[in-house]
Amino acid sequence: MQSLSLAYRQLNTLILGKSRAVRLALTCLIARGHLLIEDVPGVGKTTLAHGLAAVLGLHYQRVQFTSDLLPADILGVNIYQRETGTFRFHQGPVFSQLLLADEINRASPKVQSALLEAMEERQVSIDGESHPLPQPFFVIATQNPSEQLGTFPLPESQLDRFLMRISLGYPAADAERALLLGQDRRSLLADMTPCLQGDGLLQLQQKAAALTVTADLADYVLALLQATRQESSFLSGLSPRAGLALLSAARAWAMLEGRDHVLPEDVKAIFPAVAGHRLGLTGDATASLTALLDHVAIP
Amino acid sequence: MKHSLFRPAEMAVLLAVALVIVPLLFYLPFWLPALVELMLLLRACLLLRHSRLPGLAVLLPLLVLAAAGVWLNLNTLIGREGGAALLILLLGFKVFESRQQRDWQVVLALGFFLSAIPLLFDQSPWSALWLVISLLALTWAMLRLAGDIPSGSARTAVQALLLSLPLMLVLFVVMPRLPGPLWSMPHDSHTAQTGLSDSMEPGSISQLVQREDAAFSVVFAGQAPAVSQMYWRIMILDDFDGRRWQNVHGLQQETVQLQGGQLVRYRLTGKPVRSRLPLLEYPLQAPGGGVLEPGRLLRLASDSDDAVRIDAASLLGSHYRQSLSQSDQDFYRRLPPGNPASRQLAMQWRMQSQDDAGFVHEALLHFRLNGYRYTLTPPLLEGDNSTDAFLFSTRQGFCEHYASAFAFLARAAGIPARVVTGYQGAQYNPVGRFWQVRSSDAHAWVEVWLKESGEWLRVDPTAAVAPQRVSDGVSQSIPSLQPAVPLMGSRIPGWLLPLQQSWQAAGFAWQQWVVGYDAARQLNLYRLLGLGEAVDAAAVLRALLFGGALGLLPLLWWWRRRPAMAPLQVGRNLLVAALQCHGIAILPSDGPLDMMNKAAHLPKDVRVLLKQLLKEYAAMRYRHAELPARQVQAWLGQVRRFAQQARKQRRHS
Repeated sequence: MQSLSLAYRQLNTLILGKSRAVRLALTCLIARGHLLIEDVPGVGKTTLAHGLAAVLGLHYQRVQFTSDLLPADILGVNIYQRETGTFRFHQGPVFSQLLLADEINRASPKVQSALLEAMEERQVSIDGESHPLPQPFFVIATQNPSEQLGTFPLPESQLDRFLMRISLGYPAADAERALLLGQDRRSLLADMTPCLQGDGLLQLQQKAAALTVTADLADYVLALLQATRQESSFLSGLSPRAGLALLSAARAWAMLEGRDHVLPEDVKAIFPAVAGHRLGLTGDATASLTALLDHVAIP
Repeated sequence: MKHSLFRPAEMAVLLAVALVIVPLLFYLPFWLPALVELMLLLRACLLLRHSRLPGLAVLLPLLVLAAAGVWLNLNTLIGREGGAALLILLLGFKVFESRQQRDWQVVLALGFFLSAIPLLFDQSPWSALWLVISLLALTWAMLRLAGDIPSGSARTAVQALLLSLPLMLVLFVVMPRLPGPLWSMPHDSHTAQTGLSDSMEPGSISQLVQREDAAFSVVFAGQAPAVSQMYWRIMILDDFDGRRWQNVHGLQQETVQLQGGQLVRYRLTGKPVRSRLPLLEYPLQAPGGGVLEPGRLLRLASDSDDAVRIDAASLLGSHYRQSLSQSDQDFYRRLPPGNPASRQLAMQWRMQSQDDAGFVHEALLHFRLNGYRYTLTPPLLEGDNSTDAFLFSTRQGFCEHYASAFAFLARAAGIPARVVTGYQGAQYNPVGRFWQVRSSDAHAWVEVWLKESGEWLRVDPTAAVAPQRVSDGVSQSIPSLQPAVPLMGSRIPGWLLPLQQSWQAAGFAWQQWVVGYDAARQLNLYRLLGLGEAVDAAAVLRALLFGGALGLLPLLWWWRRRPAMAPLQVGRNLLVAALQCHGIAILPSDGPLDMMNKAAHLPKDVRVLLKQLLKEYAAMRYRHAELPARQVQAWLGQVRRFAQQARKQRRHS
């Protein structure tokens, strides 16, 4: 637990004035979920991904997605060995603990679905052979909401693979001044010390999944799901899988808060990030979600 | 600040109860409902200005004072008037001690009770209409008080009332009826009786004629008789004291023979006056629920004056044969001394005519030819010889003058005679297909006994003076009457006539089907449904009780299922109320941490205690699935004390 708060503090010195987004990102990883960051370039998406890998002691790879990218460029390929007369598998960048998929909406649907399949199955199948991905395995994908020309927006079924969607947004004035006057982010990254060793993160994940959820809290999550299904402004309500996602994210959030049980407030805290992209809301349209939270009574 | 949450809802409650007591302005001494309306208005002003409410020390003496006023005015605090007066007075004072939502709920409940009270005074369609308006307003206010949004609550109120309509109809149809009205209460002294009285003197009927209210309505079984044949008899006046004719009940029994005539069956609906209802001359037998008194007059068994419906049969135009003994004949010839000129005139005609019928003919001819005028406003007849004055000098009068003078003349000539009062004529309502008789159709005429044939003969001297009175009705025959009675016959513009007739028809249907739906009709309905005599009041009551108990079962189930979570929920509500006392609004969507955050600005001691309570609450609800009952109760006790403290603090501030 101490190591977790240390990681949180370190990340906040790296990404200034975005403690909530940082906390959500950390929550997402503890809940074993993949993260989608939707924002304009230059607000620190890549830095956040780097930082997360650094403080959690994870092996990190980055892929810049373009329209001519092929599935093999990510997953890897079987290459013929003249010496032995056999095929040998060359691992692609997906074989890492933390993969940063930059501008995921620039790649063709074929590449997107190859990656998303790997995310869901946590293994890669090539020529009938399965290659398990390392443990833990996270994908942090970014996309730029304002540039739509020549992109392939992710379909809703694939958006569902991401546990959360967050956006960082521009920093506040004083945070930005500190950024301008402070050290270079690259050297800061190099100074980061891993707070977790070995299977430390795996243990944290197991601990979070064991947090107490009483029937009363499940009733509250149920009420929220029902409310999204009855609200006419959403295209469709949240699925049962979304309900499970809400619970696991709320557990991770509660653990970050230092509690051994989940409160309705934990659910409220992660609800916009977990539900927003599943309800087909674009960018900052979280006002309707906040209104929904104010509207649904805690049973 | 603290009250701002409920203010519009409280205004809605005040408005609704103010609407409810409006009809009582007509039935109670005017000052009392007006005073209560003023009190409601005053309370609304206090609400708007957030002023302090007067304390018990002010309210209690005022209440005693007002109750004393009611006592002085009505001489009672119970019964229909006294009870209603006391109730609305209590309502007026209750709003001045209404602070919490629960107080306003009590006011609303009282409003629902009061909305039925105007029905004790009047059961017309107007009252029903006002009842519907009152119920709508009360339901709307109830929804507002429960926190519904303003625009939605009006619609929900209408929906709720519409949904309750089928149940209301079922209960209306099957609810056992008491024989007679539910609220047969003694009548209060200041409500005047309308209708024909026991006696007749100049002016008594002309007063009645100026009233436009309905006396009774009739549906004929077959062809209706001619209007000029419709003589509705109520009362026989057989004694004259020189000025006034009255009934002294000279005959105890009689043997009568009705000969000839045309049988007419009809159903008559109306309010009896002193147990009397008019019947068409001459009734064949007594209708159900009444007896025929001497003179073939109907007297009902019950002395209630609520509207009744009777089925009657009369032999129209029959001969009323009766043998009068010598003493009976003398009784119908009695006259007080005086009026010498009239006596002389009568004797003169007696000499000229061969028989009694000839005398009648002579007398009618006299009225027709000697410049008599039919008017509602005749000159006053003064002195002892009023009949002389009428016959020889003023020659102006209304039906009572002519009937009185004719009966006097007949008696002076030795012919047994009596005055009959009742109604003449009727108006047909084509919309409702019934005949309406109004107070303005009140009439008086004479019956003379002809010795030769031994029968009573109806003589209407008014018809000799103003034939159109009998054929066309009062309003046609007296031009001067028209301005005084604005809603009569020809005065109504043509386009309004169907409207008036429709309204009359609606009133008639209302009387027939709603107010008149009594035990007998209910039994008829059961028979029609094939249930026969098996369904009596007790059976229906049992069924209703059983049904009610069945309806309560889901409630019981809910009640039994509820307590598992109850103590924690109760505790949370108490905490919310306590925070409200501190001026903090907690939403249903707020969790324990939200509540703590909202209370961050409270004084430290309160905050610390609250934090501990909320922490325990969160742990009990969201940490342990199984709750040790003792721990919950201990926590609840602490919360109670906390809430008490908060209330006390608010009172002091």
